[in-house]
Amino acid sequence: MRRLLTVLLLALAAVGVLHSPAQAHNVLIGSDPQDGATLTASPAQVTLVFDQAVRQGYAQVGVTGADGSAWADGSAVVAAERVSVKVKPLPAGGSYTVGYRILSADGHPVTGKISFSLAASASGVAAADAAQGAGAEAAEAAANGGAGMAVVWIVAALLVLGAGTAVALRRAAPARTAGAAGTGAAGTGAAGTGAAGTAGTGAAGTGAAGGTVPEAVSGGASGSASEAAGEGSRS
Amino acid sequence: MTALAPALPRQRVGGRVVAGAFGVCAVVAAVAASSFTAQESVPGIPMPGPVVSIGLPVVRVLLDVAAVAVVGLSLLPKLLGFNRPERTEPVLLRVRPLAVMAAWAWAICALLTIVFQTAELNPGRVPTFGLIADYVGSVGTGQGLLFSAACALAAAGIGLMAVRFGEKVPAELRIIVALFGLLPIPVTGHAVNSVWHDPIMISMEIHVMGAAAWTGGLVATAAFLAPHRDLLAVVLPKFSRMASVCLLLVALSGLVTGLGTMALTPGVTLPDAILTSHYGLLVVVKTALVALIVPLAAHIRFRLLPAVRRGRATAMAGWAVAEVSVMGLAYGVAVAITRASIA
Repeated sequence: MRRLLTVLLLALAAVGVLHSPAQAHNVLIGSDPQDGATLTASPAQVTLVFDQAVRQGYAQVGVTGADGSAWADGSAVVAAERVSVKVKPLPAGGSYTVGYRILSADGHPVTGKISFSLAASASGVAAADAAQGAGAEAAEAAANGGAGMAVVWIVAALLVLGAGTAVALRRAAPARTAGAAGTGAAGTGAAGTGAAGTAGTGAAGTGAAGGTVPEAVSGGASGSASEAAGEGSRS
Repeated sequence: MTALAPALPRQRVGGRVVAGAFGVCAVVAAVAASSFTAQESVPGIPMPGPVVSIGLPVVRVLLDVAAVAVVGLSLLPKLLGFNRPERTEPVLLRVRPLAVMAAWAWAICALLTIVFQTAELNPGRVPTFGLIADYVGSVGTGQGLLFSAACALAAAGIGLMAVRFGEKVPAELRIIVALFGLLPIPVTGHAVNSVWHDPIMISMEIHVMGAAAWTGGLVATAAFLAPHRDLLAVVLPKFSRMASVCLLLVALSGLVTGLGTMALTPGVTLPDAILTSHYGLLVVVKTALVALIVPLAAHIRFRLLPAVRRGRATAMAGWAVAEVSVMGLAYGVAVAITRASIA
C-alpha cells in the first residue's frame, strides 16, 4: 500500500510539472462596440476581447439585425485574445446582436452575445482600427502548446509502463520458481502425478484451469501449492 | 464447485442491481445536468444538433462509468488479499474478464468522445477523419482523451495477462495503470489562468482518482462480495478505511477546485456566483450529494460493519445500492460541471 501511494504521488508530481499553465476557460472582458452601446456611425468591424488568447480555427462571430438579417462580412479573424469580424454598412436606427462561439483555451466551446444599436441619425462608417500587433501569432502558438504536449505525455506513459513492467517481471520471477517447486511437491506427494500436477499449476497460475478441476482433486494439493505461489509473489 | 452453485444466480442479480443503479443514475444525471447548463443558442451562430448535445454527455459519462469499473475491479484483488486463493479465486475468475471488458469500453468511449467533441465544434457537419485529426492535433482535450484511451488499452492488455496468469500479475500494477488513465481526464475540464493553476490541477487529479477508487471499490465490493459473508468480513473493513480517506480527499479537493476555479476566473465575484452561475449551482448540487452520501456511508461503516466483521447476514447490498446511486448522480453532475460556464 505504501508503494502504491509513493507511485501515485510521483505521478501527481509529474502531472504538476508537465502542465503548461496557459489552459483556461476564456471569458469575454470587453468589446468594440461595447455591450449595450448606441453608436452614431456604423462600425466597420466588431471586435471581441477575451481575457486570454483564443484558439485559431473554430471561432464564429455573427452580427444579426432585429429582423434576423445577417450583417457580418466574411468570417471571424482571431488575433491572440481579440476576435474580430468585418461588418457591412448597417442601416441607421436598428439594434444588432453580436453572437459568438469560440474555442476556449481549455478546449471548450464558449458562446455568448452582446448587443448594440445604431442611433436613428447615424450616418457613414467609422474608421477601422489599426491592424493588430504581430505578436499575436506567437502568443497563439504558446497558448496551444502544440504537439510537444502530446509527445511529453506519451513519453511519460511509456516510462511508467516500462518501469511497471520491470517491477512486474522482477516480482513474477520468484513466483515462477515457487510455483514450479509447488507443482513438483504436489506431484510427488499425490499418487496420480498427472492430475495433481494440473491442479497445482491451475491454482498457482492460470486460474482458468483451476475452475475446471474438480473440488475433490484440487482441495489439498492445489491449496498448498497455490499458497506457496502466493507467498512467493508477495515477498 | 457444487457447494457454490446455488449462490450464483442470487449473487448475479444483486451485482447487476448495484452496477445498474450506478450506471443508470450516472447517465440520467449527466443528461439532466447537461441540458440544464446547455449554452443558449445565440443569433447568427449555428449550434450542434440534439444528437451531439445529448450524445456527448452520455458518451462522456459512460467513459467515467467504465473507468470507475476498471479501477474498482482492479482494486478487488488487492482488497481480497492473496492468502486464501481457494476462496477468492472463484470470485476473481469472474472479475478479471469483466475488468478487461470494462477497459475496452473505456477506450472506445474515450475515442467516441473525441468524435463527438469534434462534431460539437463543427456544427452541421459529420466529423471526417481529417476534422478529428485537426481537433486532436490542436486541442489539449483531444490529446488527453487519446492518452486516456491508450491507458485503457494498456489496462486491457494487463487485464488479459491477469486472466491468463492469475494473481501473478501484480494487483498494484493493474490499479496504477487504471488510475494513470484517469490523470488526463481533468485536462478535459476547466482550468484557470493563474499561479494557482498547478495546485488546482493537482487537487483535481486527487479528486478524480479518489472518487474513482471510492466509487469503484464500493461497486465492486457490493456487486461481487455481498453474498460471500466470509469474504465480505475481510474486505469491507479494509475498504471502509480506504473509503474514509477517499471521502475526505474528494470532499476537500472538490471544494478547493470548485471555489478556487470560480475565485480565479475574471469577472466572477464569489459569494454571488455560487448561486447565479451554472458552475456554482452544480458545485452546490455536488456538495449536497456528498452530504447525502455521508449518512449512507456512515450507516454501513458504523451499524453494518461490526455485524459484517462477525460474518452475520446484513442488508449491506441494499444500503450499497442506495449509496452507489447517489454516487452515480454525482458522477453525472460531474460531466456537466466540467463544461458549465463559470461566469
